[in-house]
Amino acid sequence: MTNMLQSRWWSWGFRSTVMLYFIILIVCPIAGIYVQSLSGGFQAFADNITEALAWKSVLLTIKLAAISTIVNAAVGTLSAWVLVRYRFPGRSLLNSLVDLPFALPTAVIGLMILLLLGPRSWIGSGAEALGTTILFHEPAIVVAMVFVTFPFVIRAVQPMLEELDASEEEAAYTMGASKSRTFFRVILPCMMPGILSGAMLAFSRALAEFGAVVLVAGNIPGRTLVASVYIFGEIESDNPAGAAAVSVLLLTFSLLILWTVNLVRRRRAR
Amino acid sequence: MNSNKWMNRCRASRLSGWLLAATLGISLAGCGGSSSSNVAPAEGEGAAAQEAGTATLVIGAYSVAKDALQEILPAFGREWEAKTGQKLKFQESYEASGTQARSIVGGFKADVAVLSLEGDMDKIVKAGLMSKDWKKTETGGMITRSLVVLGTREGNPLGISGFADLAKPGVKVLFPNPKVSGGAQWDINAIYGAGLKQAERESGKKDAAAAKAFLKAVYRNVESMDKSGRASMAAFEYGVGDVIVTYENELLARVAQGVHYDIVTPDDTILIENPAGVVDVNADAHGVREAADALVAYMQGADAQAVFAEHGFRPVNEQAAERFADRYETPSGLFDIGYLGGWDQVRSELYAKRGVWYQVLAGK
Repeated sequence: MTNMLQSRWWSWGFRSTVMLYFIILIVCPIAGIYVQSLSGGFQAFADNITEALAWKSVLLTIKLAAISTIVNAAVGTLSAWVLVRYRFPGRSLLNSLVDLPFALPTAVIGLMILLLLGPRSWIGSGAEALGTTILFHEPAIVVAMVFVTFPFVIRAVQPMLEELDASEEEAAYTMGASKSRTFFRVILPCMMPGILSGAMLAFSRALAEFGAVVLVAGNIPGRTLVASVYIFGEIESDNPAGAAAVSVLLLTFSLLILWTVNLVRRRRAR
Repeated sequence: MNSNKWMNRCRASRLSGWLLAATLGISLAGCGGSSSSNVAPAEGEGAAAQEAGTATLVIGAYSVAKDALQEILPAFGREWEAKTGQKLKFQESYEASGTQARSIVGGFKADVAVLSLEGDMDKIVKAGLMSKDWKKTETGGMITRSLVVLGTREGNPLGISGFADLAKPGVKVLFPNPKVSGGAQWDINAIYGAGLKQAERESGKKDAAAAKAFLKAVYRNVESMDKSGRASMAAFEYGVGDVIVTYENELLARVAQGVHYDIVTPDDTILIENPAGVVDVNADAHGVREAADALVAYMQGADAQAVFAEHGFRPVNEQAAERFADRYETPSGLFDIGYLGGWDQVRSELYAKRGVWYQVLAGK
């Protein structure tokens, strides 16, 4: 009896500690943003969102984040494949390099892109010769987003590949399936949950990216102003309600995405 | 066996106790810190230190002033000690002007505020932390001056001579975003004011519509609106753009560091004035009122002005101005914020929610 009581106390204490932690650190600030956005009434909220500069920046952000996510899903899957399936010198070094974008301050990433893709660099001057500009236009924003969100897909796909039972693949070959058929019917479905969840995380993160983007985007409304920079501008010019309104838009969007990922995952697991 | 189990549980509950403590600690820190993760000292600590013959002054300044202040503060400290026997320590925080003003309002206990524009001082006054009288000094509360000028590539290959040239097709212009960087409002004010001047010369009246059209024409050529004046310069130095609109002192400081700019001073441009003042409530609470007042006076005096001048600012002090007169020419069409009707009018006309700047951005 006493044993049970003690163990119940222990599990109650542990659970409530975690819940408290979660509520204070995650739920409170996010709920605060929702409250702040409605602080001026619903009409003000609607005004803040239907503001041309605001929704244009949100649309641009979603578009560019989607592009960067597609790039990352493709390249990330390939990279994970190479890192898991091939043995070559420098593999473990490469593997540890993957997480570096998380460790770098995003402003440093922005500076590096300025340096490497600017008109003085050979990439920048090459693009200029072809009649496009990278820096301060959409391509630079996509590059920044891709760089910052690079690890997500790789890290989500790697364990899937490692867990893949070699016998399934061998069975497919023995039954006469071609290499590509095996890949698309056996291996890819196995990796799919990883690709999806990694891509969605990358997408959410790309939506919110600020530090690198603000340095390499021209921040011109309607052309190169992304939502996070717009929000920052609203805060700086003393319009916290406007900033919160656009944040709410992004947050809700991210929440929906993360929820979908969870649903997809659970359905796969069943 | 039983005791072993108990031991385990004991350890576990101790662990959860630690977790709880850590959580509370973190959450308290999170709540109490608010926006001022800065260097505000505990009040008791300040008072105790003062009895021992030292005092701590907390300075909240805008980032551009950093280099000059780091020379001026120790010099003032020496002077103060010689005069009163009290040792001064400085805690300095450097942020963008608007951010600094907001953190002071939000609870950062700065004794002296050194900001980029009057509008940011007004935020502190409105919060009731500073008296309106900060302007009542010989220099109107200002400690430095500068001009909005143009920086071009070496040799000025496009032959830029004034703001009008920024509206020409194919010229790529950089300036910081006035919404993000309050200091950038000076740049926009200068362009808008130059438009007004132009209209005044042509039609005899200050035509706001013409000035707005001019601002729009310049905006069309903007390649990037960066986060800060420094970010604009970084982009320019990486090869982006043809012309950068920024402060004269910023360009002079960069040139002194060996970076190549051609500085073009337009005939029509605005006189920048940067204020400093005592945050009364904080200075009184810390008991450093006199030192804070003396610091602000010192910054307006000839010695500090000479240091500011070395860093590219134009002095507000007559004596120092004479000494550095040969270094700075005064453009013929120079105007100050009064030409645009003062900061209150500029804020409501240009930067209000549906103001001129918004209309320019939204293409209306």
